[in-house]
Amino acid sequence: MLAISNLVTEFDSVKALNGISFQAKPGLITTVIGANGAGKSTLLRTISGLEKPTSGSIKWFDQELTTKSVESIVRSGIAQVPEGHAVISQLSVAENIELGGLFRRRSFRGDLAVATKEVYELFPILYERRNEAAGSLSGGERQMLAISRALVSRPKLLLLDEPSLGLAPMISAQIISIVNNLCRATGLTVLLVEQNANTALAVADHGILLALGKVVADLPAKELIADSSLRAAYLGY
Amino acid sequence: MTSFLTAFFSGTAQGAIYALVSLGLVLVWRGAGVVNFAQMGQAMFTTYIASQLIQHGYSYWSAFIVALVCGAALGAIVDLGLMRPLTSRKNSKLLNSQSMRTTIPVIASLGILGVLKALAGIFWAGEERGFPSPVAPNAIKIGQTNLAITGFDLFVIGVVFLTLVLTTIFFTRTGMGLAMRASALNPEVTRLSGIKVGSVRTLGWAISGTASSLAGLLVTPRTNLSPNTLDLLLIVGFTAAVVGGLSSLMGCVLGGFILGYVISFVNVYSAPENVFIAILIFLLLALFIRPQGILGSKEVRRV
Repeated sequence: MLAISNLVTEFDSVKALNGISFQAKPGLITTVIGANGAGKSTLLRTISGLEKPTSGSIKWFDQELTTKSVESIVRSGIAQVPEGHAVISQLSVAENIELGGLFRRRSFRGDLAVATKEVYELFPILYERRNEAAGSLSGGERQMLAISRALVSRPKLLLLDEPSLGLAPMISAQIISIVNNLCRATGLTVLLVEQNANTALAVADHGILLALGKVVADLPAKELIADSSLRAAYLGY
Repeated sequence: MTSFLTAFFSGTAQGAIYALVSLGLVLVWRGAGVVNFAQMGQAMFTTYIASQLIQHGYSYWSAFIVALVCGAALGAIVDLGLMRPLTSRKNSKLLNSQSMRTTIPVIASLGILGVLKALAGIFWAGEERGFPSPVAPNAIKIGQTNLAITGFDLFVIGVVFLTLVLTTIFFTRTGMGLAMRASALNPEVTRLSGIKVGSVRTLGWAISGTASSLAGLLVTPRTNLSPNTLDLLLIVGFTAAVVGGLSSLMGCVLGGFILGYVISFVNVYSAPENVFIAILIFLLLALFIRPQGILGSKEVRRV
């Protein structure tokens, strides 16, 4: 269980997150939606340790994450797929995937080979293009690669920052459905941040609506989809 | 023909040393974004240590190994003791601007250079001394004819070649090498992959320290050793790195060899006093024709 309480993250005394509290249940997909500047990316970056919060706590089961370094948060099973299809374009596809499992290499060499094989089965196109530079991939393939890099670390919690950003609707739907299947099949906990609310809420169990760094709705995903007045007020459609 | 061969072989041997210096500079530049002006100061210091050991009766090879280990340690100490504390202060007003953030480590490296030279003055009185080579610097003979290459040249070329092969294997075939490349290219994605980018960076400083230490050991049998003899090497190595594209390891090695030939041919066919002008002209030409370096890639700005 991921439990966030009273989380505040400031940039030059502007509160990007202004006292956020919610929980993400294990094995389920929790989707965080909100307009630009609502604090969605900051939320994920604070969970993964890239930003240090001013106050509040983030608990993953009984571990407090706010005092840990980025690397040790990743090593404790929390993988983030950052915004903008973050892959290292000068490295090959295979190297990007290897990078994600590198820290586990000493103790889990055999398992790492299995994990690598699994992501290639999930995204066969990456296997076909494994020796090409990641920079030569299309936007959708890069997003697949960024997700694969996170998955080979065998995370318990996957943080996805706007995976559909800049992708054709069909491609982003395909990627979200693969994540959905993965969550249902393996019990992976997913925290999905999206501006594109419909696709993201459709697969989610739970929905959180953020506005100006605060939680304005914390509902089962179905209810959040149905509540057109909330959406009209905060998302504008 | 003899003078051509002489220029060619001595150019290869010199170029090999410039390639090492340039490699050391580029490793730190890629990993930490710092041009390390202290690099050859570190090399000078470790070569003095080797020389001291040899004077006390230790063998050349044990001194050689100790100098390389000291080079690695010195590189790591510079990063851990100075660079990391300098750049990791979040609340310093001085470090808030990007330009200061990049300038301060460079100034600090000049400071280290000064300190190392002063220490060499204190410990060894800044004395100029010879440094032995394990191979006699005589021309190699086949039958009665002297070849244009000396045994020492061959030794230098062999050692550097071996180093470059090992470095290439390290960067392309090992996980740590992949981690180093990834950290240099995109520290954030690398950290999000669970890799300790700070430690990887320190390793980069250590490898760079070892490479420059090796350059010091290989160049001083020819130039002698004093606190200032290696300064010139930094200038040439830096030029080689810029010509090669600063961010490309292959490019900087290539740049080193090209500069070796330029310097050697000017020495043989023109006069030694023209070497500096030749380096400058070559640098300007290279910057006009390929400003991104021989193998450097153009920076693409996304909008």
